[in-house]
Amino acid sequence: MKVSFNWLNDYIDLKDIPLDEIVNRLTLAGLEVEEIIDQSKNFENIVVGYIKDKRKHPNADKLSVCIVTDGNNDFNVVCGASNVQVGQKVPFAKVGAIIPSEGIKLEKAKIRGEISEGMICSEKELGISDNHEGIMVLNSELKEGMPLSEALGMNDILFDIAITPNRADALSHIGIARDLSAIFDRPIKIPKVELKESNFKSDEIASVEIFDIVNCPRYVGKVIMNVKIQESPEWLKKRLKSIGLRPINNVVDVTNYVLYEIGQPLHAFDLDKLSGRKIIVKCAADGEKFITLDSKERKLTSKDLMICDAEKSVAIAGVMGGENSEVTYSTKNILIESAFFNPSSIRKTAKRLGLQTDASYRFERGTDYGITIWAARRAAQLIYEIAGGDVAKDEIDVYPNPFQTKYIGLRFDRLKKVLGYEIPEEKIKKIFVNLGFNITKHDKEKITLEIPTYRHDIEREVDLIEEAARIYGYDKIPEVEKISVTLEEKIDQSQFNDNVRNILTSLGFFEIVTNSLLKEDIANKFGNPIAVLNPQSIEMTHLRPSLIPGMLQAILNNLKVNEKNLQLFEIGKVFERKHNDQLKSFDDFYEKESLIIAITGKAIDREWYDKTRQFDFYDLKGYVQTILEKLLNSEKLITNKIFNTNDFNIGIEIKYDTKIIGRGGLIQKELLKLYDINQDVYSFIFDLDEIKSIPTTKKEFKELLKFPKVYRDFAFIVDESIEAETVIEVIKNSSSNLLHHIKLFDIFQSESLGKGKKSLAFQLEYYDESRTLTEEEVDKDFWNAIRAVEEKLKAKLRGI
Amino acid sequence: MINKISETRSIFDNDFLQISDPQSLEELRIKYLGRKGIIQQLFDEFKEIPRDEKKVVGQALNELKNYIQSRYEELKAKFEEEKSKQELLFDVTLPGRVKTIGSKHLITQTLNEIKSIFKSLGFSVYEGPEIESDYNNFEALNFPADHPARDMQDTFFINENFLLRTHTSPVQIRLMKSMKPPIRAIMPGKVYRNEVISAKSYCLFHQVEGLYVDKDVTFAELKGTLVAFLKQFFGKDVKYRFRASFFPFTDPSAELDVWWQPKGKEGRWLEVLGCGMVDPNVFINVGIDPEEYVGYAFGMGIERTAMRKYGIDDIRILFDSDIRFLSQF
Repeated sequence: MKVSFNWLNDYIDLKDIPLDEIVNRLTLAGLEVEEIIDQSKNFENIVVGYIKDKRKHPNADKLSVCIVTDGNNDFNVVCGASNVQVGQKVPFAKVGAIIPSEGIKLEKAKIRGEISEGMICSEKELGISDNHEGIMVLNSELKEGMPLSEALGMNDILFDIAITPNRADALSHIGIARDLSAIFDRPIKIPKVELKESNFKSDEIASVEIFDIVNCPRYVGKVIMNVKIQESPEWLKKRLKSIGLRPINNVVDVTNYVLYEIGQPLHAFDLDKLSGRKIIVKCAADGEKFITLDSKERKLTSKDLMICDAEKSVAIAGVMGGENSEVTYSTKNILIESAFFNPSSIRKTAKRLGLQTDASYRFERGTDYGITIWAARRAAQLIYEIAGGDVAKDEIDVYPNPFQTKYIGLRFDRLKKVLGYEIPEEKIKKIFVNLGFNITKHDKEKITLEIPTYRHDIEREVDLIEEAARIYGYDKIPEVEKISVTLEEKIDQSQFNDNVRNILTSLGFFEIVTNSLLKEDIANKFGNPIAVLNPQSIEMTHLRPSLIPGMLQAILNNLKVNEKNLQLFEIGKVFERKHNDQLKSFDDFYEKESLIIAITGKAIDREWYDKTRQFDFYDLKGYVQTILEKLLNSEKLITNKIFNTNDFNIGIEIKYDTKIIGRGGLIQKELLKLYDINQDVYSFIFDLDEIKSIPTTKKEFKELLKFPKVYRDFAFIVDESIEAETVIEVIKNSSSNLLHHIKLFDIFQSESLGKGKKSLAFQLEYYDESRTLTEEEVDKDFWNAIRAVEEKLKAKLRGI
Repeated sequence: MINKISETRSIFDNDFLQISDPQSLEELRIKYLGRKGIIQQLFDEFKEIPRDEKKVVGQALNELKNYIQSRYEELKAKFEEEKSKQELLFDVTLPGRVKTIGSKHLITQTLNEIKSIFKSLGFSVYEGPEIESDYNNFEALNFPADHPARDMQDTFFINENFLLRTHTSPVQIRLMKSMKPPIRAIMPGKVYRNEVISAKSYCLFHQVEGLYVDKDVTFAELKGTLVAFLKQFFGKDVKYRFRASFFPFTDPSAELDVWWQPKGKEGRWLEVLGCGMVDPNVFINVGIDPEEYVGYAFGMGIERTAMRKYGIDDIRILFDSDIRFLSQF
């Protein structure tokens, strides 16, 4: 919200306090000043200019060339406005000025061959209004050369303050002044409303009836007859413009002025357009159509609170008035509405209609139901001053169930317990008095406070503690210098994933973090995805059921910048529905922690010591084995081949008992095509939740082997269809427990071996933990293995 | 004996021809000239021969010894010369066989740094789900339905019951419901906001939530703990301020700003985290007596903190997976 410093000074005298301090203390107290706008700086290098001469531009019909003087020098200026005349005083931006609406620094230019040393500005270009019909013409009595800010009286300083949703009371100048009063301990002056009233009463002219007192607990109406609607006086227009409002007419401008003065939204009806001069507050009919002030048709529901007359709706309560009862230049008699509406009702309507107004913004945060009469009278006073008319003697005030006054106690020891610090009692009392709280009781241990009607946010003792602390200053509460720590066991649920990251980075993988939201058709390829009800764009409508799409996107991003050799991983959640029904509980969907690794491009690039080699399946498998070996007891793992699945062309799936803990291989070409990836990608997905759930055996020291190991090698020629693992199984099954390790160290295929044959070479490792083996017993075992392989696999021993 | 000496000489000549490297030359020296070498053996035999033969044999033996010695020296010198020539040619400037070590994402690295600081202050680390119930994400944290406070966080909804958590604060609720105080924990994780993707905001980011509940927790301790964190993370000269603010789930609430002074630019305050004392309504919602227990909570965004620390000005680069970015950290 924009707050004018000049305006603030109507209510609190701040002129002697340095601006920095005001800004700083307001910010620290929770009214964060996000921007300070010094109006005079807006118009630097823009002065009052006098047009001495004007001639047609020789090369352009619509342009003219003027001689503008600032009193000292004459400038040649090309101007496109049709209303420019010799003898006018105009806002003249010199070379070097920054045009406020565009933020562009003005430079000397040649326009169609004519030199232009500056610019004559329109109101729009100056950021004063939307008016762009020609240049702005200034009062002819202004002296040329005078800074424009001075000429326009725009010497205000504006604060843009971010007001948190709890502080509805601070959405006005008096609201801000109240905090400043407490911060600087100086009084505020609320304007006295003294009305010159006529001798008729509001309720003799108009009537108000509330059908829905839950959503409209209070409605105040004040009648003013015979007003003269016209433009507002300069001072009023200037104030409204300074905080970014557009002046409309004197009555509407007054309602806006009071809104920004005290925070009470007001609405002025043309009384003669109200059928029966009657106001009825009730909900709309379902499907009712209504045209608001902005000339837009709105469709309403039976939950929307409306202001109606005897026949029709005339305003959407608390949100926006209707075109049918609008105050126009022909209006004579008006009814000022000053009401309190239920915040939640206004919020629902405003949200549903997508219509946020200054009024709805305040009503939905909770306005001051205690100020409605004052606000109506204040408006009447100002209208009377600037629009004349006869002001009714009183107000119609329909307030059937007055709100109860709130009283809350504040215990000094509780304040100390929460803050860890004592604020002097006198200080506390002063803070609350300045904020407008009445101290109704006071003893040694506590004070009892009457909560002002504008402080809906103060509901409990702790809210009072916060008030005292924020005004006193958080900076005055000391920081403890030591803390005590309990000795119970500390838990770190993120440690497992960190471990995984350590393994992967040491293997050369780079971690990525990708978007969990995917396009629908992509998400559907990987499972039964969960949709987002209100997506940001069609590219991000569903939660990822797999980490593959994110990985492929990451690879694509790198290929685009010619980075082709990649080793990447991501740890993240994947999401999937268990069924297609409505998701009602956490059991209706999966949210699982997943790990994906991917390799693509060259495993070894050109090197002086090595040959180029592409990543292949066995690189992937090797990484998977290494990772699993580090994470769990990998002896119990079962590996199965997978072929032509949705995501993998060929690969493996790894089980622990019956549970699949991971799967991967060569990514399907069709998927790669979706991402324009033209190189093979090998990828593996681990189900981290499953892996975490596998009980880990405690590590125990194993005695180091004291006796020598004995090695034997052999090579067999077998049918090419026989898999390595089959041969290993036969060797294992035919050997004694002296055999501890089998290593396949060579595969060889050639015509010389016979068609459809291959040679597999193994190294066998024998030892015993308690003695040295003899050559004879090793040979016996070794030959048993050879015979078994020969018999069971129809293998031919090629060499030993 | 004379025969044996000349035989030895021809065997030596034969052996000598096989020598191709310094190591086998050394073996040859030991074989012939070593303390138990062939020459020594011949000298031992020489002691036993008749006196009259000694002159002739002795001369022959000495000749053999000198011969072997000089051939050895000759070749040794040659090898040494070759070696020094090779050493001269050995190109140490050839690139080494470099191995790549990967890296954790900058977000992870920053998170780990934050985690280790808070772990050293006695905090545990807990995690929670990204799809949350509306209750845990809002209601239990004292965001009433239809309250403008909900506008503070643009939300991705799944349906009326579920949403993508907008902050890590619901993990507070899960913890307080499942364990008894004292609770001192941080809760890192991914959160979502329904915002247009730009240099300043992304549809998801990471937060670390902190919570401490016990009988004697104070705002002064919250301040002290967070300042200790700031000093470790940003350096001990960090300039900071606690500013009053509003969060539905804390009361009093504050934001912690850090003074940011980019080189050659105007300095400004930047918000680092939000914090405050746990609101009594939150305690009531999780069944903790707000009169008996007090607590503090805080939450900070990882991306913004990392961007500040490393001078990154576009958040999107964190999610682009560009290896040229990843390999910088």
